[in-house]
Amino acid sequence: MECGRHLNIEILTLSEIVAVAGEPGAFTVTIRKKPRYIDMDKCIACGICSQKCPKKVDDDYNMGISKRKAAYIQYGQTVPLKYVIDPDACLYLTKGKCRACEKFCPTGAINFEDKEAIITLDVGAMVLAPGFNPFDPSGFDFYGYNTIADVVTSMEFERMLSASGPYQGHLEKPSNGKSPDKIAWIQCVGSRNTNQCSNGYCSSVCCMYAIKQAQVAAAHLPAGSEQTIFYMDIRCHGKDFERYYESAKTEKVRFVRARPHSIIPGPNNTGVSMIYTTEDGRQITETFDLAVLSVGLEAAQDAVDLAEKTGIALTPYHFAETGSFTPVSSSRPGIFVCGSFQAPMNIPSAVARASSAAAEAATALIAVKGSLTKTKTYPQEKDIAGDGPRIGVFVCSCGSNISSVIDVKAVTEYAATLPHVVFSENTLFACSTDTQDVIAKRIEEHDLNRIVIAACSPRTHEPLFQDTLKEAGLNGYLIEMANIRNHNSWVHQKEPEKATQKAKDQVRMAVAKSGLAGPLDQMKVDVIQKALVIGGGLAGMNAALGLADMGYPTVLVEKSDHLGGNAWHLDQTAQGEPIRPALESLIENVMAHPRIEVLKNARLTASSGTVGNFESRVDVSGGPTRTIRYGAAVLATGARESVPTEFMYGKDERIMTHLEFEDKFRDAPADVTAAQSVVFIQCVGSRNKERPYCSRVCCTHSVKNAIDLKVENPDMNVYILYRDMRTYGTREDLYTNARKLGVIFIRYDLENPPEVSQDTGNLRVRVTDPILGMPLSLAADFLVLAAAIIPNETKELVELYKCAVNADGFLNEAHPKLRPVDMSVDGLFVAGMCSYPKPVDEAISQAKAAVARASSVLTRDEMQLDAIKSFVTDKCDGCALCVDVCPYNAITLTETVENGQTLKKIRTEMALCKGCGLCEATCPKDGISVHNFTLQQLRAQVYAALDLPN
Amino acid sequence: MMEIRVGKLADALGVHRNTVRNWIKTGDLAALPTLGKKYVIEADDLLRFLRDKGISKDRISRISQDMAAGGDPAGSFASLSQNNPLTLQKEVPMSDKPVGSVLMVGGGVAGIQASLDLADTGYYVYLLEKSPGIGGAMSQLDKTFPTNDCAM
Repeated sequence: MECGRHLNIEILTLSEIVAVAGEPGAFTVTIRKKPRYIDMDKCIACGICSQKCPKKVDDDYNMGISKRKAAYIQYGQTVPLKYVIDPDACLYLTKGKCRACEKFCPTGAINFEDKEAIITLDVGAMVLAPGFNPFDPSGFDFYGYNTIADVVTSMEFERMLSASGPYQGHLEKPSNGKSPDKIAWIQCVGSRNTNQCSNGYCSSVCCMYAIKQAQVAAAHLPAGSEQTIFYMDIRCHGKDFERYYESAKTEKVRFVRARPHSIIPGPNNTGVSMIYTTEDGRQITETFDLAVLSVGLEAAQDAVDLAEKTGIALTPYHFAETGSFTPVSSSRPGIFVCGSFQAPMNIPSAVARASSAAAEAATALIAVKGSLTKTKTYPQEKDIAGDGPRIGVFVCSCGSNISSVIDVKAVTEYAATLPHVVFSENTLFACSTDTQDVIAKRIEEHDLNRIVIAACSPRTHEPLFQDTLKEAGLNGYLIEMANIRNHNSWVHQKEPEKATQKAKDQVRMAVAKSGLAGPLDQMKVDVIQKALVIGGGLAGMNAALGLADMGYPTVLVEKSDHLGGNAWHLDQTAQGEPIRPALESLIENVMAHPRIEVLKNARLTASSGTVGNFESRVDVSGGPTRTIRYGAAVLATGARESVPTEFMYGKDERIMTHLEFEDKFRDAPADVTAAQSVVFIQCVGSRNKERPYCSRVCCTHSVKNAIDLKVENPDMNVYILYRDMRTYGTREDLYTNARKLGVIFIRYDLENPPEVSQDTGNLRVRVTDPILGMPLSLAADFLVLAAAIIPNETKELVELYKCAVNADGFLNEAHPKLRPVDMSVDGLFVAGMCSYPKPVDEAISQAKAAVARASSVLTRDEMQLDAIKSFVTDKCDGCALCVDVCPYNAITLTETVENGQTLKKIRTEMALCKGCGLCEATCPKDGISVHNFTLQQLRAQVYAALDLPN
Repeated sequence: MMEIRVGKLADALGVHRNTVRNWIKTGDLAALPTLGKKYVIEADDLLRFLRDKGISKDRISRISQDMAAGGDPAGSFASLSQNNPLTLQKEVPMSDKPVGSVLMVGGGVAGIQASLDLADTGYYVYLLEKSPGIGGAMSQLDKTFPTNDCAM
């Protein structure tokens, strides 16, 4: 992970806060750092201490399913990759003798004298993200978690599935090691339960992880295996989640709406037996090989302690308290919170909130930005033009990851015999800090000008080695890697001899290619430190305000004649904060901000350029056309309520959509509260064939309105006809409250929807109650339809920027989990409902996240681009075959007239090209090539692979 | 002097009971224990405390009117709770000499993302983690939906 190597991030492990003093902008934090007993500077993570350690304890990383030693690392890719001694398990530290690790450690890194240290740090702001605890179901004796071997928690099951887990990814039953062909998941264990535990909220992630586990388990197990999920409501309210759920159904995952009340041991003391009642009232006893308890997310005790020490307020569920309009601000100024410390949330929400917390902290400290950060400088690059290749080969053992399979000594010796190789060496960890020094020294000693590293993947480690070369005065592109770990030792563990031969082949190929490599110049583009925000709703305005507060002049483009968007129609947030006052003050702030220019009635009509350097034309109705230059843009074009075609909408004025009802409730409250009966129908136009997605906000919205109606007029009959109630997270409290107040919830199926009719002037809704099994006929004074949310027209943006949308028309992120606000086009960010329907707090947090991500572009004066780009050779004759295949639109055809003849040739836009090589593969005449992947280099590699003379 | 109950005050403000207890323990809220799990407090102290917590002037004046009329103070809080006043951060002046570094507590996926964003925009970050390595719960997951990508 890049975090470990970042110049401006210092990782303090085994540390916790003792106290916080000071004021926003200048906190003094006291930290207790526990002893590691291993010197981090000396430890090379060879693992000998762990091999020699005689003491075994339960491995908490594998949820206690397997054992680890007292000297250990959590997992193979731990950052920092340094061993640690567990003082509660170590024989020497508990009983006073052993010290085996100390005797065998090759670098003398073991230090039993290590003491706890108290550190004080001066910081300007704090961000708290202590995470969650998986719920511990030990207290629920009826699930037999502690007494039945084949009952596991979902977190344990996650480790059981993992290739790095205790069973190496082969699923087995804990009781007898056989394959669990029939698995049951029980949802809402420790969530939505105020009876046996006090977690009244929904953990909001378990439905999806259970579906994922069921699918992954099916892939692990032989054909004919069965997966069953027992649930109350399936809550797949995220982007593309509903499709995932539907695909699980078609892949024969069985969904049963029931809550098994107890689990007892299965026959022959293996597996489990479960009793549950189906919706039609039949009691069923069924046996399964394995039961997985889908445990909820709980506030960790550590987090509660942390809140106490930092003096921030918690909610009754022990989560950090925040407001919908300030979604990452804690109750103490200068301290921000993010992740599942706030409420149970999934990875993309946590990542988005993290970025928004970063934006808030950065804005608070804008006056001292850059005062403590360091930048790296490199020595002058050596000119190697004219020198023949002098290749140095480093063969990595990767601890024992490679050397346990491959004879690294033999590979090293073999490498020395290859043409142009003047030096070869075996290293324990090619990526360790001291090896970087060694590589630099060897470059100096042997005058090396090309380096081949036979180790792991360039995806993770090439930047590191490039850096090492640059520090040693070589161009970073003179590095070549041969992946003898992922492509070899990991997959050929049982054939060491063949693996060694393959490693030699890989090294030979890399050397052949390396000999033809040359230094490349990285292109730099000047960054225009200005921003563009498209869309003036809540998300767009928050993004504009955030960017302007960070110091970047921002243009906000709004297509209508007013700012605010959908928020004008909304009364309150789920937490009960009034929206109008907040909206009005937000608009005021945006309009008054000296660095924001608002263009209303405006549309983008043309765009060009790339990250750091965009140019767009904006047509303003009634004004001059504007040309705007900017370095990054936030797209917040929003979404809107669809117009229902079903349930007699439009035929009777008492039938309304959510927003229409909200307006009516505000403008004529007496009419609404005088009603005898109000019926809500959920999923109108959502979760069907046409729109196979959940609109996410409607369940909460209906429940909230139902509560307001019941509070105003307790005698009113309020019905909510729903398919799955999706009041996720702490919104579940509203659902509980609505039930307490007597709102009547009736479930219906897509196949059997309610029927609306009008007889003698009265509206009637007919629906079959699944529990009574009887048709009901409800009178309705108002019928409120939860109409689907559809994205505003994004076609223009897609054309202008070549950005991606999903099948439903929502703008797509670069990565659905880890880059939730970045778009696939660099320099563009997305916020608000244009990426997916979402409530106020999530839209604002996403907007602030976009601010953080955009400012990581805008903060620079210039952007360095990767030098692996396509270039046109003189063999190009302008046939333009490559123009259409280029996925980034980086290639254009140009015509020049020379001596009366028209010459055609292609031109590549360097800033757009990503070096994918499709053009090179398409070109029939060697007219376009990609640096460092030229046909000549690839040919050399292929010949080397086949061991033919080039 | 007036009596308050920790639970009622906490419910009304939408915070945890322990938060209120902490305020009392640290002396932020100058209340003294009395019989029946109640605390006594000077009306002025309570109002000053609410002001410090950033509650708007007109609400405070409403509460003081309620109290002057001999009304139940918890009743006044109940009317406040709808707007969760504590969540609206009060304007606290920034330090004259702000420090250009940020302390990040927690090295899970959220902590790592926030650290990278801050470090990339010009702030020095201390990333605090209680366990021996960063990565958090996500590193324990096998695959992530909807793409079934490896969590690592």
